[in-house]
Amino acid sequence: MIRELRFLLRDRAAMLWIALAFILSATAVTLGLAEVRQQQAELAEIDRLDRADRAQVLSEQSDWGGAAYSTFHLTSDPPSDFAFAALGQRDVSPWKHRIRMLALEGQIYETDATNPDFALTGRFDFAFVAALIAPLLLILLLFDLRSGERAAGRLELIEASGAGAKRVWRTRTILRVGGLAVALILPLWIGGAVAGTSVFTLLAAALAVTLYLAFWAWLSRTAGSAAHTGSVNLTILLGLWLLICAVIPAMLTQAIDGAVPLPDGGDIVLTQREAVNDAWDLPKDATMSAFLDRHPEWEAQSGIDRPFEWKWYYAFQQVGDQTVEPLSRAYREGRAERDRLVGFASLVSPATALQRGLERLAETDVRASLAYEARVRDYHARLRAWHYPNLFEDRDFSVKDADGLPAFDSGDAT
Amino acid sequence: MNAAIRIAREEWRQWRRSRLAVAALTIFGVLLIVTSVLTAGDMLDARQDRLHQQAHAEATFLDQPARHPHRMVHYGHYVFRAPAPLAVFDPGVDAVTGQSVFLEGHRQNGAMFADARAQARAGGFGDLSPAALYHLFLPLLLIAIGHAVILREREARTLGPLLSQGVTGRQLYAGKSLALLAMIGLLSVPALIASLSAIPMGEPVSTALGLYAGQLLYLCVWGALIVLVSAIVRSRGVALGLLLLVWFVTALIIPRIGVTAVGTSLPADGKIVSDMRMKEDIRKAGDGHNAADPAFAQLRANMLAEYGVDTVEELPVNFRGVVASTAEARLTDTLNDYAEQRMARERAQSDGLSAFGWLSPYIAVGAASRALAGTDLATHHRFLREAEGVRFDFVQGLNAVHAEQLAYSDDINRSSDPQAERRTRVDPKNWKVLRDFRFTPDTADVRIARAADSLLALTVWLFALIGLGLWAARRMSP
Repeated sequence: MIRELRFLLRDRAAMLWIALAFILSATAVTLGLAEVRQQQAELAEIDRLDRADRAQVLSEQSDWGGAAYSTFHLTSDPPSDFAFAALGQRDVSPWKHRIRMLALEGQIYETDATNPDFALTGRFDFAFVAALIAPLLLILLLFDLRSGERAAGRLELIEASGAGAKRVWRTRTILRVGGLAVALILPLWIGGAVAGTSVFTLLAAALAVTLYLAFWAWLSRTAGSAAHTGSVNLTILLGLWLLICAVIPAMLTQAIDGAVPLPDGGDIVLTQREAVNDAWDLPKDATMSAFLDRHPEWEAQSGIDRPFEWKWYYAFQQVGDQTVEPLSRAYREGRAERDRLVGFASLVSPATALQRGLERLAETDVRASLAYEARVRDYHARLRAWHYPNLFEDRDFSVKDADGLPAFDSGDAT
Repeated sequence: MNAAIRIAREEWRQWRRSRLAVAALTIFGVLLIVTSVLTAGDMLDARQDRLHQQAHAEATFLDQPARHPHRMVHYGHYVFRAPAPLAVFDPGVDAVTGQSVFLEGHRQNGAMFADARAQARAGGFGDLSPAALYHLFLPLLLIAIGHAVILREREARTLGPLLSQGVTGRQLYAGKSLALLAMIGLLSVPALIASLSAIPMGEPVSTALGLYAGQLLYLCVWGALIVLVSAIVRSRGVALGLLLLVWFVTALIIPRIGVTAVGTSLPADGKIVSDMRMKEDIRKAGDGHNAADPAFAQLRANMLAEYGVDTVEELPVNFRGVVASTAEARLTDTLNDYAEQRMARERAQSDGLSAFGWLSPYIAVGAASRALAGTDLATHHRFLREAEGVRFDFVQGLNAVHAEQLAYSDDINRSSDPQAERRTRVDPKNWKVLRDFRFTPDTADVRIARAADSLLALTVWLFALIGLGLWAARRMSP
């Protein structure tokens, strides 16, 4: 073992790939930490601006209806302490929303997106290095293990040593895979220590990465034979890399998206808009009775006498949301269903499994993004529940009472 | 020259005999064809859907019943961006930007419903398009097939005899390059078909062929690099390792590190932050719903003086409509300022990223390909600008109706007086202020000009590598 380790340390090509793995992992972790810090800083800045803005807006109001119309509320999904390792869905899904008490369906699909060219290129995070780059490095470390010895004329010599030969290959493979794993995981753990990640998460991530590398080591061993030259082995392994890291995931995306169609997003906002706008022309009773289906408690105060009253205005905003509820729910359930199918599919797609696992640990996956959306919906419902008594009981506006407005708790999981 | 052709032909015979080469080519060919068909299908569907949705949105707007014109300002309108014909080859930023925008008064909304957000997230490199295959993975195939073109002769000890039989190093270089070029030509056929298939959909021939030429140029850069490495390196293992390292660094690492580098050196504010900053400015511009807003005192004084009357009630036009129109114009100036700032920053970021094309041909070909296909960020920005144009026009059209066809007294009493409210509803023929919108890609010249820098980077790469190759070929020895 020690002798083999000395061999490995003297193998310049092998050390180059391991060193490269360390550098790439360290870079990915550093960039990930910087990105997370930037997101946190942006959230802190928005939070400050949001409070100042709301205080200013509330000070200009004269009634609760206007106050509810003009005040925005910040909701956010701050990065977890492991988000630096897998930024995941955060590049394409919103992690901050400012909402107000109008129909939620018109607001919740807005995305405060980054530069599309960036999202298109992708991030250099640890998940990318571990799932897509590490297998390549591993292939480069292992493809020539036996064929190289053969080319050097030593294969027969090693094989001839009988029972020992197997052990030699095994030891060499384990040392290389181990070296690669350490080179990848060490920066991750240091990053985790900086970010305050829990030990469990770090261990789970390390385990996942090690298992993934073990799979690749097994594959290289199975697919690469000593009978071929090194470059033939390498070509075959590159083909497998392409298959497992690019083709299979893309096919899964295509197949799952095809199997679970989603309602067209445009239809949701369009239907919502029609419902909200039609309400202006409908008899007020039609709106109010649809509203009372959900809120029978306001029956006594639901009479609308003038052409415009705030309680009617907010009632039809809510009815607008009610109208698209089936579509909106189908859209959410469809996304959840797609994600569930990806979960099954990851059993046959190791690259998917690792990326998904890391994103789960980092809470940057589809599930986390849907959970954030659910929290925003919850909060919006609380906002309505808080405002309705003011509107229906026709209370006088006071800035002091507005202190009681519910606040979004970015930590409250549902 | 004959010697070169003979050498190239011999190389092809070798490839045909290699099961690995034939298998790799076949698999890749199938992958290319399947991806091309699937992408083309998706894009054509999307195109049809969005053109249909656009027509539907326009019809719905025009079909609205009589109402207060300001209600139509809030009713709003949708515009859709149908993918460019060449999106069948390179969908570009389409999947990450979203292709519909809701237009309404007093607001500029962003594009909604990016596909990438709702897609099944299966990891890997995401969805594959023909462009992604060409840019990212075809170089790998070329490396696998071509890394030994010259090395093989060296390892089989046939290089010495060849050179001593009067074949010069340059002829050998030319022959091997020709063999690889023919391979590239063969592999580029699906790209050619995809490009040509866009022409019947209205794509100019120049951009269609330009897009194809860009791919060819990029693959030739790789071909030249492969022959060069094969000429100067002494063992297959080293040649493969070296070429893979170059691929690795230029295609996987530099682009993503470039994203972070540019993102950090040119940070862009999110929309929420800039919206909040903008709100400060807008407060100064005044609220167009409230004609009594002090921001309009000057306007009122001017109008009263102009018409020689004492109260707004006596004005021949509805002062509320005038206020709405003025406020919208002022507001739009501010909105446009911020939108332009945001787009300028995004453009600077994208230019910064494209500049990495001098380090990585992968970035250069991506930028060139998206620009030529009309699926780049600049095209998306133009879509946003044109959408804003549509928005401003119909809102101001409705505000003009508001000012000219409504009586001020009815307008201010409509919240309390049902009779007045009825009189403020105008005839639906006024909804014709909405103009038709069909988004088309930029003209060929504009797109070619935008791709020029990246194409230049690729050309420089190609000539530099060929120059080095010729230099190495002259010094070639067994």
